[in-house]
Amino acid sequence: MTAPFLQIRGIRKDYGKVTAVQDVSLEIRRGEFLTFLGPSGSGKSTTLYILAGFQDPTAGDILLEGRSLLSTPSHLRQIGMVFQRYTLFPHLTVAENIGFPLKVRRKSRAEIDAKVKQMLELVRLEGFEDRRPSEMSGGQQQRVALARALSYDPPVLLMDEPLSALDKKLREEIQHEIRRIHQETEVTILYVTHDQEEALRMSDRIAVFSKGVIDQVGTGSELYAEPATRFVAEFIGDSDFLSCAVVASNGQSADIRLGDDWLVEGVPLHARGGGRNEGALLLRPERVQLHRNQPAATGALPVRVDDLTFLGSNVHVATTTGWGEPVAIRLPFGHDAIDGLSRGDTVWLGFDPRTAHVFC
Amino acid sequence: MSNASSTSALVVRAPRRNLLPKTLGPAMPALILLFLFFVLPVVSLLLRSVLEPEPGLSNYATLLGSETYLRIFLNTFLVSALVTVLSLLIGFPVAWTLAIMPAHWSRIVFAILLLSMWTNLLARTYAWMVLLQRTGIVNKTLMNLGLIDQPLTLVNNLVGVTIGMVYIMLPFIILPLYGVIRRIDPAILQAASLCGATRWQSLWRVLVPLAAPGMAAGALMVFVMSLGYFVTPALLGGTSNMMLAELIAQFVQSLVNWGMGSAAAFVLLVVTLALYALQLKLFGTSQMGGR
Ligand SMILES: Nc1ncnc2c1ncn2[C@@H]1O[C@H](COP(=O)(O)OP(=O)(O)OP(=O)(O)O)[C@@H](O)[C@H]1O
Ligand SMILES: [Mg+2]
Repeated sequence: MTAPFLQIRGIRKDYGKVTAVQDVSLEIRRGEFLTFLGPSGSGKSTTLYILAGFQDPTAGDILLEGRSLLSTPSHLRQIGMVFQRYTLFPHLTVAENIGFPLKVRRKSRAEIDAKVKQMLELVRLEGFEDRRPSEMSGGQQQRVALARALSYDPPVLLMDEPLSALDKKLREEIQHEIRRIHQETEVTILYVTHDQEEALRMSDRIAVFSKGVIDQVGTGSELYAEPATRFVAEFIGDSDFLSCAVVASNGQSADIRLGDDWLVEGVPLHARGGGRNEGALLLRPERVQLHRNQPAATGALPVRVDDLTFLGSNVHVATTTGWGEPVAIRLPFGHDAIDGLSRGDTVWLGFDPRTAHVFC
Repeated sequence: MSNASSTSALVVRAPRRNLLPKTLGPAMPALILLFLFFVLPVVSLLLRSVLEPEPGLSNYATLLGSETYLRIFLNTFLVSALVTVLSLLIGFPVAWTLAIMPAHWSRIVFAILLLSMWTNLLARTYAWMVLLQRTGIVNKTLMNLGLIDQPLTLVNNLVGVTIGMVYIMLPFIILPLYGVIRRIDPAILQAASLCGATRWQSLWRVLVPLAAPGMAAGALMVFVMSLGYFVTPALLGGTSNMMLAELIAQFVQSLVNWGMGSAAAFVLLVVTLALYALQLKLFGTSQMGGR
C-alpha cells in the first residue's frame, strides 16, 4: 500500500505552560474534504497553522506524500489557505490579488492573465477584476481569497472558519460554492469550523477536536450513530443524557440501571479507563418512542410531559423522569402519540437498547 | 478589517455634513485667534517682502537670481532630502521592530525615544558636537578599528548637519510609521507568505505599500521641518555652507533686511504648501489603497 497523501503524526504544541494541541494524528486521503470540528480553544487553528508553517510543533511530524514538511518554510510549502479574517491585499485589485502567487513565482504576464480569468470563473466573480477589496462584500472577498489560494494549484487547501463572519444565508450559499469548487478542482481540503451543521453539510469526514486531541474521526453519520465519546455525542446532533449505574458489562455492552429500579440490558458501552460504574445513557430524540399507555411487552420508562413545542415539521416534547432528569423527544408533526397530549400527562418512553449508548 | 473600517468611514462621512453649524457664531473667537496668530503674520510677511525697501519684486529677483542664494536653497533641499531618506531607511526597520516586539519591550524603547525628544535641543546638539569633533569618540573609534588613518571632518560642514538632523528627526518618522504598521493585520503577511512570497517579496510588495501612507506623512513632516531648521545647522554646520533658516536669521538679525528675510521665508512657505498638496493628492484622505 502506498503512503497516505497527508499524514499528521503525533503533533503537540505548547505555548509556555499552555498546551494548545496535545496529541493529534490524522491521515488524509488525496482529494478528501476533511473538517476539524470542535469548540473554541480546542486546538483546530493551531493544528492548521502548524500545517501552514506559521508555527513549529513541539513534537510530531507532518508528511505530504511521505516527505516531512517541517523543514520547509511556509512560502515554499505550496499550501493554499483561506483565513477567518479578510486577508486580501488592500492595495491591490481583485485580479492582482489572485495573480499575486503567480507573480511572486515570476510567471509570464499571459499565464497570469489566463489563470486569473479561470479563477474568477471558478468563483463566479467575472467582471470584478478591477475592484479593490474595500469595494466588495465580505462574501465576495472570501471568494476572491479562495481564488487566490487556488491560483497556484496547491495540493492542499486550508480553510480556517472562512465563513464565520458572514450571515447565515450567505454562509450556506458559499458552502455550496466551496463544495462545487472542491468537486471541480479535486483539491484536498482541510476545513475548520465550530458549526456542526456546516461540518455535516460539507465534509467527507469530520475530526472532532476536544481540548487538544481528536476524539473521533469519521463521516457525519458514523459520528452520529456511533459516537466514541460523550463529547462527540453532545457535539453532533441533539442528544439526551440520563445518568445511570452500570450493573454488569462485558466490555462491549452493558446492563444498566436507570433511577432506582429500571433495568436496561445490552446497551453498547464506551468505557474510557477507570472502573467507574456511574455512566450516562445517550438517547437520540428521534430514536425514542412515546407511548400513551404503558406497553405490555417491552419495558418502558414513565415520564411526565412538561412542555410541547411546535417546530414546523417536528414537535418537541419536553419530559421529566420520575427522579427529575429531563428527556426531550422529537416526533413528526401529526404523529398519533401527540394527539390530545397536554402538560402534566404521564407517558411511557420506549427505545431499542441496541441503538442507545452508555458512556462511562 | 479594511472592509469594515472603510464602510464605517463611509457611513460616518455622510451625516457629518449635517453636523456643520448653521452659523459661524460659536466659532468666532477661535477664528479671530487663528486670524491674529496665523494669517496676519503670513500676510505681513508677504507684504514686507514686496514692499521693503521699495514696492516691487526686487527681493525675489535678488534671491532667485544670485548664485550664492541659490546655492543656499540647493544646500537646504539636498540636506533635507538626505535627512528624510536616511530617517526613512533607519526609521522603517525600527518602527517595524517596535511593532512586532513584545509590548513591555516596545514600551521601554518608546520611553527612550520620548525622553530624547524632551531633552533640550541645544544640549543634544552640543552632545553631537562633542561626539563628532576631530578628537571625538566617533573618530577615535573608527581610527582604533583601523578603518581610517586621519580623523574625518564631521562637524562644521553638511555631514555634521545631516547626522545631527537625522538624529533629531527620527522620532517624527518612527511614531507615525509605528502606528501604520501596527494597524496591518499580521494575517495579511501570513497570507502573502503562503502565497509563495519570500520575506523580501512580502516586504516590498505588501508591507511597504501598506505602510506608504505613514511613510509619506512622516517623510513630509521631516522634510518640511528640515527645510526650516535652524539650531542644528547653526551649531553643527560651517560658515561656508549655510542653510535657509540661517540665511533668514542673517538677513533679519545682522543685516536688518526685513524685505529679503521675508522673501526667503515666503519661498519656504510656498514650497512647504506645495509639498503638502502633493501628499494630499497622492495619498488622499483615505489610507491603505482605498479611493
Ligand atoms: N500564541 C499563543 N500563545 C498562547 N496560547 C495560545 C496561542 N495560540 C493559541 N493559544 C491557546 O491554544 C489553545 C488552542 O487555540 P486554537 O486557536 O488552536 O483554538 P481553536 O480550536 O482554533 O479555537 P477557535 O474556534 O476559538 O478559533 C487555546 O487555549 C489558546 O488560548
Ligand atoms: Mg481558530
